[in-house]
Amino acid sequence: MPNDKNSQKIVDMITGFARSNSLFMLAYGTGCGDIEIPPAMTSRYDWERFGYRKMATPRQADVLLISGYLATKTLKRVIRSYEQMQEPKYVIGFGSCTINGGMYWDSYNTINMLDHYIPVDVYINGCMPRPEAVMSGLFELQEMIKRGDANGAQKYRENLEWYRANQKKIIKNWKMPDYNW
Amino acid sequence: MTDISLEKEQKIADELERTFPNLTARVRRARRVMASLEKELIPSVLVHAKDNLGFHHLSHMSVVDWIEDEHFEMVYTLWNHEKRVQLTIKTMISRDNATMANIDTIWRQANTYQREMREMFGIEFPGFVGEKDFLLEDWDEMPPMRRDFDTMEYANKTYFSRPGREDAQDVRDTISKRNGEEVPDFAKKYSREK
Amino acid sequence: MDEFWMKIIGFVATVLLAFVVGAVYGGLVRKIIARTQNRIGPPWYQNFIDILKLYSKSSAINHGFMQHIAPAMAITASVTVLMFVPVLTGDGWFPWFENLNFKGDLIFLVYMMVFGSLGMALGIGQTGNPNAAIGVSRGLSMMVGYEIPFVMALVALMVQTETTSITGLMEYQDQHGWLMFSSPFAFIAAVMAMLGMFHYGPFDVAFAPSELASGPPSEFGGKYLALMMTSGSIFAFAKLVLFVDIFMNGASNLIILVIKTLVLYMIPVLYGAVSPRYRTEQAIRYFWGWPTFFGALAIIFAIYY
Repeated sequence: MPNDKNSQKIVDMITGFARSNSLFMLAYGTGCGDIEIPPAMTSRYDWERFGYRKMATPRQADVLLISGYLATKTLKRVIRSYEQMQEPKYVIGFGSCTINGGMYWDSYNTINMLDHYIPVDVYINGCMPRPEAVMSGLFELQEMIKRGDANGAQKYRENLEWYRANQKKIIKNWKMPDYNW
Repeated sequence: MTDISLEKEQKIADELERTFPNLTARVRRARRVMASLEKELIPSVLVHAKDNLGFHHLSHMSVVDWIEDEHFEMVYTLWNHEKRVQLTIKTMISRDNATMANIDTIWRQANTYQREMREMFGIEFPGFVGEKDFLLEDWDEMPPMRRDFDTMEYANKTYFSRPGREDAQDVRDTISKRNGEEVPDFAKKYSREK
Repeated sequence: MDEFWMKIIGFVATVLLAFVVGAVYGGLVRKIIARTQNRIGPPWYQNFIDILKLYSKSSAINHGFMQHIAPAMAITASVTVLMFVPVLTGDGWFPWFENLNFKGDLIFLVYMMVFGSLGMALGIGQTGNPNAAIGVSRGLSMMVGYEIPFVMALVALMVQTETTSITGLMEYQDQHGWLMFSSPFAFIAAVMAMLGMFHYGPFDVAFAPSELASGPPSEFGGKYLALMMTSGSIFAFAKLVLFVDIFMNGASNLIILVIKTLVLYMIPVLYGAVSPRYRTEQAIRYFWGWPTFFGALAIIFAIYY
């Protein structure tokens, strides 16, 4: 018997609750924004209250936290980390640099718009955003997961050619393994 | 700091000038000696300073792009631990055919500096063995730290840029209007709504 | 036939009870560690949410056959250990909780408790992650450290009570009082070994967060990690009940069981919450020092008892 609408709704509600209240984060600390994570995580702001947790490997993480500017060299690593994460997966762009390049907008070596290379679910602006802003961005992500709007991974899968073309424009010598999950 | 006689600095400068006839050395201030000479003599001056004058430590090595005079200036900074004197050695090399003697056989830490200079300024060091990629990966344009490299043009060509808003709205004005607050006096002169 | 079905229901109920209590204890530990660091900490049911979420994630990574069966081996070992530990004694609320005991099961348990870690080590070896390999080598060398005082304490108990069965030990305790008091050196050695067994506190070098990515399970995400967390909850409960059984004469109902296990569990947790991390060789030196000395003392004490 195929799933009828009501039972699917209940399942969605339970998984939405579980997914939104247990966010494991892979903090990609290349930019200056990573310094805002320790206060958010330790006793001052204590994000473990809401079930957030830092995970050290992409295999176990749900959220990829891009903390600040990305050089083309680190973009390669970000793409590999993102593709190795298990679905459902979300991306948070952190700071002005991920939105429009921030103060490095005319640099020869940093990308300007993150959402042309990997799908971004939530942007947190500011240079740097304070821990309160980080937490409010994460609450927004929780709400999106509950509503079922945070489907960046699906977007990535559907528009893979467009994303790949953009990525290959920057990374000229493309020698990356093909992750097909 | 009371000792301002500059005696030991003068001695080092004299010694350098006596040994190398084409070298001009001068004492800039206490504990700072500066010497400039031509490109070919650099390795021998460095070896002499290291072995005979006691400058065992290469603190820094850099290059300055004088695009108007069409040359690069190489700068070596040495430090003497016993006498506590810093010796700066400078030389000019041509900008078109930028080659410099490889000194990573004298100080091994020069390896990193030379890799960076080769990548960022395109200076060649004959006989220098080092990994090609250092800070940049797959770079096939002009070396980016040269002053004739147009960074903004390159960034516009390579990266996407987010278009600004049509109305050029000021964030401060928008927020104050939304919340019904006064814009503070110090901020009024920056406001775009006159 | 009726008895057979009662036994089956008993197994399932035991596993469920072990999982629920183990996961609640895990949540409490996170809360307690948060309180010691002046934080509020996650709610006590956070571990259930984590496990539910991990079961609902996809796990599309495949490094080979061993990696698939490693978490299964871990949970098999945990459930097997649990099956041989009598959870409640006497005519308590659940009289069928005695499960599969037989004479000599204490020796069997010593072997069985290592099985899960070894299975994990094989699976991790296949993933080829260097961080995980370092974590495994550290964990197994530390296991060599704490197994020696633990086995010495058990041998002392066996010599003193002249039985190798857990139910036998409990009958002995019914007549002579708790073994915790009649064989104090064995208890001290076993508790010190327990500090290492739970991987908290100064002995968390195998999982060393932020030093080794996340340690041995680095390469296991999604459902694998959920299975490992489930297995960990069951195994923690099984170990605690084993300690309660052999030193504190078991428990006749659930409330006493929870009180006794929680008091025992607080020893490694509180010691761990305030201790910095030992390196592997320091940890082994610790275990081969005083705990082993107390173990030897316990055997001598048991011989002349």
